[in-house]
Amino acid sequence: ALRGALRGARPPPASRRGLAKPAAPQSARQLREVEEAAPVFQYAGKAAKRKDRVFVWGFCYSGALGIPSFVKPDAGWKKPRRIQATPYRLETQEKISSAACGYGFTLLASRTTDITKVWGMGLNKDSQLGFQRSRRDQTKGYEYVLEPSPVPLPLEKPQQTRVLQVSCGRAHSLILTDSEGVFTMGNNSYGQCGRKVVEDETYSESHVIHHLKDFDSRVVQVVCGQDHSLFRTKKGTVYACGWGADGQTGLGHYNITSVPTKLRGDIAGVNIIQVSSYGDCCLAVSDEGDVFGWGNSEYLQLASVTETTQVNVPRHLPFKIGKIKEAACGGTGNVVLTEEGNVFVWGYGILGKGPNLTETAVPEMIPPSLFGWSDFNPDIRVAHVRCGLSHFAALTNRGELFVWGKNLRGCLGTGRMEDHYFPWRVTVPGEVVDVACGVDHMVSMVKSF
Amino acid sequence: NAAPGRPPPQHVRFLPTPGHDGATELVPTMVPVLAEHPLVRGPRFRRLKIGAGHRLDVKASGVFVLGIGHGNKLLTDLYNCHLSKVYTVGGLFGKATDDFSDTGTLVEKTTFDHITREKLERVLAVIQGTNHKALLMHSNIDMKTQEAYELAVRGLIRPMGKSPPIITAVRCLQFAPPEFQLEIHCLHETQKYLRKVVHEIGLELKSSAVCTQVRRTRDGVFTLDDALLRSQWNLQNIRNAIWSCQVKVQAEIERTL
Repeated sequence: ALRGALRGARPPPASRRGLAKPAAPQSARQLREVEEAAPVFQYAGKAAKRKDRVFVWGFCYSGALGIPSFVKPDAGWKKPRRIQATPYRLETQEKISSAACGYGFTLLASRTTDITKVWGMGLNKDSQLGFQRSRRDQTKGYEYVLEPSPVPLPLEKPQQTRVLQVSCGRAHSLILTDSEGVFTMGNNSYGQCGRKVVEDETYSESHVIHHLKDFDSRVVQVVCGQDHSLFRTKKGTVYACGWGADGQTGLGHYNITSVPTKLRGDIAGVNIIQVSSYGDCCLAVSDEGDVFGWGNSEYLQLASVTETTQVNVPRHLPFKIGKIKEAACGGTGNVVLTEEGNVFVWGYGILGKGPNLTETAVPEMIPPSLFGWSDFNPDIRVAHVRCGLSHFAALTNRGELFVWGKNLRGCLGTGRMEDHYFPWRVTVPGEVVDVACGVDHMVSMVKSF
Repeated sequence: NAAPGRPPPQHVRFLPTPGHDGATELVPTMVPVLAEHPLVRGPRFRRLKIGAGHRLDVKASGVFVLGIGHGNKLLTDLYNCHLSKVYTVGGLFGKATDDFSDTGTLVEKTTFDHITREKLERVLAVIQGTNHKALLMHSNIDMKTQEAYELAVRGLIRPMGKSPPIITAVRCLQFAPPEFQLEIHCLHETQKYLRKVVHEIGLELKSSAVCTQVRRTRDGVFTLDDALLRSQWNLQNIRNAIWSCQVKVQAEIERTL
């Protein structure tokens, strides 16, 4: 009887509130089981595409970077940002295929067949971005555009034409389409828009967009200099219009031209595959690898052929540096890229070979080791070269961007405010596909990883 | 202690020996001093001053530089030379752990079939680019001078003082998903930093990665060929190794300082 009572006095073992098992070091088998039971996350599928992005950097007050909060911050206590020293992502609705930076404004173009093909931001005092109707007052236009805004183009077939390329000068811009020729807008005081100069014309809030279509063949490249325009056609001829006091129109005289006229001189009959200009000097590259120059030569850009400071007829520049693939002109210096991938600079200013080299009339090569070439990476080559007004940019085949030159208001994008005397990498999160250089800002088209 | 010690000193002792007549005589003989016998005294060298070069983790392996006795002074000189080290790092895609290596607790598993060798090479190029910039910035040389330009052309700019870990070069040796192997040349780093780099590569490729192997193949002038395996730790080998490296170390120190 006692034993029975003792047995009954024991509490029933069911539903005991026990503590959890202590976290003892688990055996290898338990670890493996935990691992196999863990869920697998998928961040990117097998067919994940690389996205296209646009990065901008440089001087913000003109609105050319396209980010309104830099100029007019969202909160009252924030101060407007003067300089964006490192690349900043710009959200765009479409994939941007071509961009151009002018003197305080930017144009972005996409190869879409939608109605809106070109966006502009920045200065619009000469309607270089077209007429941007103000929302507060429907009759007036905006003088500063802070966000990428659509540029209205008078296209005949807006849903079929594609915009191939845009180019910006000091106060005018050119838009090239595939089937409808070239559209020009902006300042025309020197005839750079390709139409007759009208005396005392007010260019701000102007609706005028001129259409140019009579060339000998289809126009494949448009280039804006400071106050002149160059057109390259499929047949390899070059047309020019605009200011010519430095001979940059290359037409044999120093007057202004208001109608695009064909260039002669050493270029006549040569198939030109690329033209470049940004200031008052122009360079053209032929399919055989020769380079021709005309325009301003005050900074020894053309001193290898002539002593005069203005050349108004295209002259062949006899450089023995190899077959030239691409050329780019800046305000005071020029840069060319040869077939082997070497970069040559000449002219005046910070040329990229240290502080001692400030001017040279003969092209000097920049050592490829500065672009990342080494025994470890022997197949790095420079793929493209671009020029701003006082700085240069080079793109390698690995998608890296190197800049050098005068760092005007943070245009180099390296994060430092000082000038760079030799090529310096810009850290962009992605593979840089193309870059456009302006006076104090830059735009780059980047593919994400 | 394995080296033949110096011969034990001998002294003259008068030992009793049985004489030829039967009476004990004292005869002077040279006899080794019993007090100096190795069995009495014990091993000659009981302590050695050994200093270690750059640290190596428990989980890592590879070349580990040691300095013995007066060589410790050379160790500080070598440290001030700031030479780069080469590691072979093995990684595995698909897992993320808390201490970035494959023996830690699992944090997350991800898919990795979208990763190609091309993407990996692109990420490595970006890493090299940013680290190259850091190299130039931490070297504390004024970038506006002509000497800075000349050094940059030859690739000789390097930080000569304290700096955060910098990777001078990365290369993908093998890629067989999920495994991959990298060769990393770096300065002022720790193995944990290398494992973190592997983890970050995984994140950048929109997946995750853990580090399976860290092996130092070169530490300044010392390569794997000069290194001695655990089974080769005996006096002869150590002496030969020190002898062969002495010249290299001297040359390197003279070149840099």
